[in-house]
Amino acid sequence: MSGLVVLAVDDEPRALADVERLLEASPRVARVETAGGGREALLRLGQGSFDMLLLDVRMPEIEGIELARLLRRFDDPPEVVFLTGHADAAVEAFEVEALDFLVKPVTRDRLDAALVRVEHARARRHGGATAVPASAPEVVALDNPSGAGKRLVRLETITHVDADGDYARIHSPDGEYVLRASLGHLEEDWGPAGFTRVHRGHLVNLSHAIELRSLENGTAVLELRDGTELPVARRTVAALRRRLKA
Amino acid sequence: MDVREQPPPNGAASRPPVSAHFVNNVLAAAASYIDEDPDYARDVLAELGQFLSYRLREDPAPVSASQELAHTATFLRLQQARFPDRITVQLPDAADVFGRVTPGTIQGPVETALGRVLREEAGPCSVALGTAADGLELSVRGAGAPDVVSIPLTEVPL
Repeated sequence: MSGLVVLAVDDEPRALADVERLLEASPRVARVETAGGGREALLRLGQGSFDMLLLDVRMPEIEGIELARLLRRFDDPPEVVFLTGHADAAVEAFEVEALDFLVKPVTRDRLDAALVRVEHARARRHGGATAVPASAPEVVALDNPSGAGKRLVRLETITHVDADGDYARIHSPDGEYVLRASLGHLEEDWGPAGFTRVHRGHLVNLSHAIELRSLENGTAVLELRDGTELPVARRTVAALRRRLKA
Repeated sequence: MDVREQPPPNGAASRPPVSAHFVNNVLAAAASYIDEDPDYARDVLAELGQFLSYRLREDPAPVSASQELAHTATFLRLQQARFPDRITVQLPDAADVFGRVTPGTIQGPVETALGRVLREEAGPCSVALGTAADGLELSVRGAGAPDVVSIPLTEVPL
């Protein structure tokens, strides 16, 4: 990939200047354009092709969330990353399938992690290389099983994930959540945060594992700090043992 | 997300929360000035510190109206740092305001009215505070009709 083409949109001119400077300094970025509002952004989106839309949430004329919804009608929409002072808008952002959510003022490391996620998403969308991203999201938006909207859950608190038909059933100390995703997809996205597949039906956050017990039939049981015991497939046991020792 | 302040110990009505959105955006603006004007970037950070010290102090006791006016001026300078070519400000002389007021008496209505204009309208806007018979009159004007708010400066007993 020769570098990302980014459109940064913010009605706050100084915040826009700051992120433009950071983006221009990144080796991952080939070109940066800016827009001071939603209307100007739509105009630019119609005139050119962008890999990434870095978008403020609250703006006059067209709000960032609304602009992200409009993008769904594009044939090849850019990946949307929100950059905002509204930390409490994260749920809305994930509901419009934003790739990442950054809070101002963003650090260079955090911005770089978002750029890596965009590179990965573009490669996946265009059928290119699908290397595992160097970073996982810090927070994920999950459906409440009760159907009462979404809830933001920190990835590090999730202990394990069970396959449940077309859904993944996600376990954290706060409760259980569901997400329409395959375990393979989640392993790819969350792998950098320490998640690994131990069984066809189970993905586990290894930071919560405390003991691996071998069984006579060649399989094993992985015990988590909260007492949960998960089966480990025979072909996974050796690699898992090496990883836990490391 | 808003940073809720501690409830005042004397049971008086709690002050409005400090907007995390405002703080985050001022910090982003300060970061943007670091290369091109480091002294100004430092001034913005120092004024944000003053603003937060005033708003988050544990003692919510009444302050002089001139102190509250100075706090309002700090708030407006921070907004101008975010929107350097957009906001013009006109304030009365501190010597023309009298009495003791609850913190936020002046700055609160200014924040509300200016926030509405910045949120809902594009283009320049002006903030004018003038003296009136029983206090101050605030006028915040964007592209549409101005928001005009009367701010009585009622003496608060110590």
